[in-house]
Amino acid sequence: MTDYELRELDKQPADASLGEITDSALAYLSLEDLLVELLERIRTLVQADTAAILLVDRERGVLLARAARGIEEEVRQGVQVPLGRGFAGRVAAEARPIAIEDVDHADIHNPILRQKGIRSLLGVPLMVGDRVIGVLHVGTLQRRSFDESDRRLLQAAADRAARAIDDAQLSEQRAMTEVLQRYLLPDTLPVIPGLEISAKYLPAPGAGVGGDWYDVFSLPDGRIALVIGDIAGRGIGAAAVMAEARTALRAYALERHSLEDVLALLNALIIGAGRRRSLSVAMFALDLETDALDVVSAGHPPALLVRPDGTRELVAAASGPPLGSKISSGYAAESVAFPLGSALLLYTDGLIERRGETLDDGFARLLEASLIRDANLSLADRAFRDLAANDSAAEDDVAILAVESYALGDTLHLDTDADPTHLASLRRIVARWLTQFGVDDAQRFDITLACSEAAANAIEHAYGPRDATFALDGHVTAQAVEVVVSDRGRWRPERQTDRGRGLQLMNALMDEVIVERGEQGTTVTLRALRK
Amino acid sequence: MTIPAVTSLNGVPVAAIPVDVDVANAALVGEQLAGAVTHDAPCLVLDLTATRYLDSAGIDMLLKLAERLRNRRQALRLVVPEGSPLRRLLAVMGVDASLPVYASVTEAVESAGGEPGTLSPR
Repeated sequence: MTDYELRELDKQPADASLGEITDSALAYLSLEDLLVELLERIRTLVQADTAAILLVDRERGVLLARAARGIEEEVRQGVQVPLGRGFAGRVAAEARPIAIEDVDHADIHNPILRQKGIRSLLGVPLMVGDRVIGVLHVGTLQRRSFDESDRRLLQAAADRAARAIDDAQLSEQRAMTEVLQRYLLPDTLPVIPGLEISAKYLPAPGAGVGGDWYDVFSLPDGRIALVIGDIAGRGIGAAAVMAEARTALRAYALERHSLEDVLALLNALIIGAGRRRSLSVAMFALDLETDALDVVSAGHPPALLVRPDGTRELVAAASGPPLGSKISSGYAAESVAFPLGSALLLYTDGLIERRGETLDDGFARLLEASLIRDANLSLADRAFRDLAANDSAAEDDVAILAVESYALGDTLHLDTDADPTHLASLRRIVARWLTQFGVDDAQRFDITLACSEAAANAIEHAYGPRDATFALDGHVTAQAVEVVVSDRGRWRPERQTDRGRGLQLMNALMDEVIVERGEQGTTVTLRALRK
Repeated sequence: MTIPAVTSLNGVPVAAIPVDVDVANAALVGEQLAGAVTHDAPCLVLDLTATRYLDSAGIDMLLKLAERLRNRRQALRLVVPEGSPLRRLLAVMGVDASLPVYASVTEAVESAGGEPGTLSPR
């Protein structure tokens, strides 16, 4: 196109000018609205009766009608044209403009064009660089011979439209990824004194939504569950399977099934639902009181365990194929020690896989990564920094979930939801704290159970079903342990005999128990002299 | 929630309960245990070997379960290993006065021959 013609295009009236096709106001429209607006302007510009945009769906090898003016049925009926077939299919496959003067004598795939009485058609490819992202075509009810200047005009409009569509698709994808991240990945990681939990999720650039996920939650037996998984494939389909797997895994785990059974049940569910995608998943359960870390893996790469002395080991080798496989004969869990000062790094293969490398090269880099401490960076951030940040050719998503254990101070503070299902993890944390300060087994049991009773009291006093919390504040010295459990609930007379038994239990296990009931809530102070 | 595992040893039902029994799960565990005992069984042996914590709601559950079984002329026998802090807990709460406590499942099952509820712990 000559400079003169381009200048002429930009001289069109404001409501129909090509400049308007990409003006800033359009940036705020959704892709659907943007396309309709573009078509209206293009239809006026080339004086056509109909205008339509079909976008390429690579996964299915078709063009999908996305927007139309004058032939709205195309979109409503979800017209699909196989690439290379029919009028639009050829424009896309051959990446060049095609004009048809009389549709009666042409190979037309889409019946709606004939039904609407369209006589002549002109189609041009929507190109971004050398990539065809779709087809723009216009039609007239009167027979018309589209000439070279019509083609140039439509192609110029298409080029501008293509960039706008590409931008919109990218931002739509980004927005979708954000939504998925928000809903499918934990928005906040649990705060557990003695553990620093960090996570990182990076979708591969421009490749659509992936199926990587991680999860952290408390099990009913008080252990902390850590999950990492990777669904084969990309796009919304993979994300949907991820959502299904994440929810089902949580549900099975909360029903107190063993790690082995959780994976076996999930495998049966995925096969039964007819999902043709396979997914690798590894699940870990950390007991804060015994430092035992139980692990089970279905086809997932092993996790990195960093021991307190800095030595490293790959743990949780897959004990069976990825889920979705009918050949699976079950999954065996193993247990490793996770003593104070240990760290664990869970990840999806995007972190270590590089083109032209073997998987062993990736594991070797993982075992040698510096991961050197930096006050501003979590372990997940450091793993990303050392292993993936400099890799500009990253082709896969990266999900990282990291846990570091650290020594607790002589004061302990816990804010806990007033929900009895949190009592088990509360006991684990209190017991871990007491162990670190050398409180012996018998006294640790007594103090932990007394704290749990005081907490159960606070939960019973909680004033509302939502947002009610209570606080536990402990202080340990060489002579004594003091724990204060306070709630902001209104005091109510004890309703059940077992609450009376709770006070009896606290008195039996502790040297001193003080219950103060005030307008602001109830405070229970527990004191034990160290033996 | 999965039902506590119930097995049978010499015709005596033996149940293991979750690692922790507290106010969050005690009522449900109690229901499941009561439902797991057939009417012809002389007693229920409750294995607390793997149990780490039992709070006042858990103790209450044990006492109510024992009463329920007693009404059916069945006994509740607890298994708590020697040296377990749970032994001390059951003692300070006075539970061992009304419920026999044994050191092992075998011991509890072997003692099941006599009249329900009349066996001494030793």
